Amino acid sequence: MMNGYRAYLPILPVAATYALLLGIGVVSPDHWQLIAQLAFYCALGQAFNLFMGMTGYVDFGYVAFLGIGTYGMAVSIYTLSDKGLGIGVVLIGLVLAAIFSLGLSLAVGAVALRLRGAYFAIATIGVNEGFRYLLEGARIWNGADGIIFSRHLRQGVGRQTAMALSTWWADILVFGVAFLAAVLTLVYMRNKVGYALLALREDEDAAKVMGINVTRYKIIAFITSAILAGLLGASAWALKLTYVYPSDVFAIHYTVEAIIIVLLGGAGTLLGPIFGALTYGAAKYFLAIVLPGFQLLIFAPVIIAIIVLFPDGTVGLLKKRLRDTPLGKFII
Amino acid sequence: MPLLKVRNVTKCFGGLVAVNNISLEIRHGETLALVGPNGAGKTTLFNLLNGVFPADEGQIIFEDVDVTHFPAYRRAHLGIGRTFQIPRPFNSATVRENIAIGGMFGAAGSEIDVDRAMAMADHYIEVMGLSPHRDKPAGGLTPIEKKLVEIARALAMKPRLLLMDEAMAGMNPKDIDKMVAFLKEIRETEGIAIVAMVEHIMRAVSGLAERVLVMHQGAKLVDEPTREALSDPRVIEVYLGKPPEADHAHG
Ligand SMILES: Nc1ncnc2c1ncn2[C@@H]1O[C@H](COP(=O)(O)OP(=O)(O)O)[C@@H](O)[C@H]1O
Ligand SMILES: [Mg+2]
Repeated sequence: MMNGYRAYLPILPVAATYALLLGIGVVSPDHWQLIAQLAFYCALGQAFNLFMGMTGYVDFGYVAFLGIGTYGMAVSIYTLSDKGLGIGVVLIGLVLAAIFSLGLSLAVGAVALRLRGAYFAIATIGVNEGFRYLLEGARIWNGADGIIFSRHLRQGVGRQTAMALSTWWADILVFGVAFLAAVLTLVYMRNKVGYALLALREDEDAAKVMGINVTRYKIIAFITSAILAGLLGASAWALKLTYVYPSDVFAIHYTVEAIIIVLLGGAGTLLGPIFGALTYGAAKYFLAIVLPGFQLLIFAPVIIAIIVLFPDGTVGLLKKRLRDTPLGKFII
Repeated sequence: MPLLKVRNVTKCFGGLVAVNNISLEIRHGETLALVGPNGAGKTTLFNLLNGVFPADEGQIIFEDVDVTHFPAYRRAHLGIGRTFQIPRPFNSATVRENIAIGGMFGAAGSEIDVDRAMAMADHYIEVMGLSPHRDKPAGGLTPIEKKLVEIARALAMKPRLLLMDEAMAGMNPKDIDKMVAFLKEIRETEGIAIVAMVEHIMRAVSGLAERVLVMHQGAKLVDEPTREALSDPRVIEVYLGKPPEADHAHG
């Protein structure tokens, strides 16, 4: 039966991959930064896939949700660190990140999600830039000067804890966001939400005729994906770096990386974003060592070739091949 | 009280009047054959009935509810099901998933969870003879198989009114007879009213429909019981272009 435990078996390879990554990082601290970077890409891909992969809509303004989540954490630590809340400022920061990204996604979604495919994509291109200029122009949250809150964090939780938060717990949170995104993806896939999204991704008009309120389900996917992005920004950027500048976080190339990761692995699959993230992250890392400065020159054509050769992504292809084998139960 | 009441609906595309001031009524459990030459406005009329786009003018009442301004998904919830002229299954989804989606979101959708919908899908897979294709992606099926998946998906929606666009186009006489028998059966067992658009297939019209509505250039030309329609010279002229005997002859 669909909703028996067997339907959730595909979470095992996800959990195993993250456990393995974490294990390598713990055993070999020299590689922790690489591992943390890979975890960031996993979370980014997994969260982005929840909307792009499941609906077929491409949100070019996606990084704005990471950006505003970063500000959620920054604002909490910056303004509340002298209130004696201790580690509570971090929890409040995560809640604020979720609320901010929820608010922004509702505002953007209510307008843009009424548009179809390419029109949606075009409308979202402006969101990220527009939001950045709004912060800078209106000097919201210190405008272009950003928020530097290292001192506040130390003041709020103590030097030792602040250190541990930035060097270790921030990355663990990123793993948490990645895993949460995977769990939500699988839960959606196994429930009505997932079938509604599958239907509207394939044929939006036919989906409506089948009784699917497509706008509602698009918004559900959009909001979920946005909140995960907000939490990711709050952990991977705010908590880890303890400062935030608009020009750093509202940077479109992160959206582009998210798109590449999802397409490499296979849009709409559960394991695709992980596979895409690991290949992309590792390739970027080694190319930077072997051929510094030339990464993009080599990267762009390789990525285009892979996407053209495997339109369903690598995991998409694997999924088709393994459909009728015992392994097929795990690969979705 | 009729199941569906359409009053003076009109739809224009630019200067073209695709549906021109049409009124009609459909009773519970009735089967109406909608016929007319290509471009007559039949598909457009279907689109108006199930809300793919709104009517420019006129009113549509389904079971006493004025649905004129309802979006398609709300009309589906009330019990209007639909198949498309060119089948539009969800290609990457399996046959079973396609049909289950109809169950999950159709007229009974709010009470049907994924498991129940899958069980419903299995039932209709059996009924439509799609068992060998149950777990295949619908995109890989033949056009006729896709048509069957669409019909099953529409039935899983538990509609009270089923609109079938080009229900039997491209089928051979044996399949048409099977489809006619099948539609008669579900009309009884599920109590569904059917508006089937059956193009140039006399055997289907005469065997299935109680009434025939002929459209021509967007307007309603004829709306009368099948027996009378089949010998109506106006029908023969615009719809058949030949006497009905010719079609019966090779049947
Ligand atoms: N979406 C549309 N935009 C513009 N014209 C359309 C559209 N749909 C149908 N038409 C036109 O309306 C007329 C009726 O078409 P249609 O309802 O498809 O006829 P039928 O189904 O009877 O063959 C045709 O002339 C067709 O070209
Ligand atoms: Mg037509």
